[in-house]
Amino acid sequence: MEETNETLCVGIDLGTSRSSISASNGQRHVVDSYVGWPVDMVARKLVKKTVLVGRDALDNRSMLDLRRPLERGVMKEGSEKDQEAVQEILRHLIDVAGIKQKGKGKTKVRAVVGVPAEAFRVSRQNLRNTMEGIADSVMLVSEPFAVAYGLEALLHALVIDIGAGTADFCVMQGRYPTEEDQRTLPNAGDSIDEQLTKLISERHPEAQFSIHMIREWKERWSFVGEPKSRVVVSAPVKGKPTELDITDEMRTACESILSPVCETAVDLLSKVEPEFQDKVRNNIILAGGTSLISGFAEVIQKSLMEFGGGRAVVVKDPVFAGSDGSLAIARDASSADWEKLSL
Amino acid sequence: MATVDETKSRLLRGVVQDNIDVLQNVKARRLNRRKRSVHPWILAGLLLALGAYVIQPALLVSTAPTPAGSSVALATGAVTPTDIDLTPELSAPLTNPRPIDRAAIPLAIKRIVIDPGHGGEPGAMSESGVAEKEITLDVALRLRRLMAHDPYEVLLTRETDRLMSLDKRVNFANQRKADLFVSIHANWMEPKTIRALETYYIGPTDDPATLKLASMENKGSGYSLSDYKQILEKIYVDARHDESRALAKSIQTKLFRSLKLVNPVLENRGVKTAPFVVLIGTQMPAILVEIACLSNEDEVKLLTKEDYRENIALALVQGIRSYAASLNAPNRKGS
Repeated sequence: MEETNETLCVGIDLGTSRSSISASNGQRHVVDSYVGWPVDMVARKLVKKTVLVGRDALDNRSMLDLRRPLERGVMKEGSEKDQEAVQEILRHLIDVAGIKQKGKGKTKVRAVVGVPAEAFRVSRQNLRNTMEGIADSVMLVSEPFAVAYGLEALLHALVIDIGAGTADFCVMQGRYPTEEDQRTLPNAGDSIDEQLTKLISERHPEAQFSIHMIREWKERWSFVGEPKSRVVVSAPVKGKPTELDITDEMRTACESILSPVCETAVDLLSKVEPEFQDKVRNNIILAGGTSLISGFAEVIQKSLMEFGGGRAVVVKDPVFAGSDGSLAIARDASSADWEKLSL
Repeated sequence: MATVDETKSRLLRGVVQDNIDVLQNVKARRLNRRKRSVHPWILAGLLLALGAYVIQPALLVSTAPTPAGSSVALATGAVTPTDIDLTPELSAPLTNPRPIDRAAIPLAIKRIVIDPGHGGEPGAMSESGVAEKEITLDVALRLRRLMAHDPYEVLLTRETDRLMSLDKRVNFANQRKADLFVSIHANWMEPKTIRALETYYIGPTDDPATLKLASMENKGSGYSLSDYKQILEKIYVDARHDESRALAKSIQTKLFRSLKLVNPVLENRGVKTAPFVVLIGTQMPAILVEIACLSNEDEVKLLTKEDYRENIALALVQGIRSYAASLNAPNRKGS
């Protein structure tokens, strides 16, 4: 048996697009959820690594078998390579947080990992199995619940965590949320990317662009409502760099998720006890990378006008809100609880 | 009013319990794989319990007045075969039997048969050439993949594009002693602007459109609708009828809730009864779900997207799981 010197708690938000870690040693990191293996000997010699994770993998993608192993916030099923890729991301996160994983003095890791609110039991089981050898004990929690816990928004609050793969909703009513208190929608960052790709292709059929360019444009200029300025990007047309005005396409693509998000929020609100609906409506918390779309909170508030108004705010640190919340859960859980959930 | 710490501690208990449940489910399934047979002593115990159950409810469901001599034995609960006074009133056939309370017999689902409609012959066909048989098979295969790690055995009546008669589909499910039967179909409706979802379970219908649909789906069975009357009359009092309705409701709810988000004009036509052959012949709770309208080209466009078909399969899985979970819910209403 290996000697263990230290016990460390970590909170992990395993996201379709980005994954973050918050550790009890004070480390916080975020990586792009991409993993790549060199395609041949030449590539291996050039990249000087057997596996690349995050931005490193994206930057060298032409030489790699590149994987984005998460789909709608959970592991793609039926692919061993994708499961391996998830393990690489988790290992990388633990590694960048400065946690010693092997040999003498190995750190004992207690990990809380956020998964989509309605993640199926099977996905959670898969994830537990994937964590073997990476953490010593694991708890899986719903992502919006982790956000709520971290912010201590435990009563009369609605958390909407919009990532790349899913938009997750959770109403907090002072008790552990049931299935009825939570929802997951597939309409999130990735569906905006798809929509934007389609719209730009229709308007500029000769322009060449990749999904990575689309994501960069969205992260930089996404908005809903009235534009603050025109969105002009550069893409090659017949090999020549050309400026394209994609303002209308950007707005249409970003607004495509508004209707399902608002509808789901209203549906969940209507299930709250009548005397508390007003409180919950005025305590809507937006988290996740996609919540950073300019004007998003305002438009949600506007859509609530016909239901008596409401207040929506974006958390201060949307990227780390999930992992910080998971870390808070990891710290608060007792050693006895952790023992029950050891791998 | 609870403090933040008290609330947190309550929430943590929930988190831990939820995770332990996931863990135990894994272990339970591993055990099932190793050993499926039941120990003879457990079997004997179950038989005894079932015997006791059969005797006791026979008294409890009676609407006839209880004879004075038997009231003490019933009140104390110490009923043995010799204590039971089988007076003519008690042993007489029950004119208005009460339904059996499901909670008395905890049931579990072990095997599910999924029936991708049509095959060989195309079924309904969209104007753009998308065949019902392709969509139903694709969704069924996805559903089986999504349930691969569930504690149920999922069997498909067909896994390729091959002709399979309706009675063979029925026999397939009956011979394998399936606990649930889900038949997947796609609709064709006039006017073509309609986009609707509907789920059927066994029962009569006066709706001409439903009769027409049943007639189309029953094509090749060798029977006419009038032949089913006698069979149906027996089935309507069957507990299977109520379970089929519960399953149909669960699937229709999940399917509509999920697809409405990406297909906003979708219409919820709800749960209906109809005399489809596959629903009549099967001996387990059975439903037929119409997952889309191939008559509507906008919907056909959605159906050509993998994501949309995956959503349909996911929603069907959720519906089945939700029904399965409700079987063991403590406050479930009797059938």
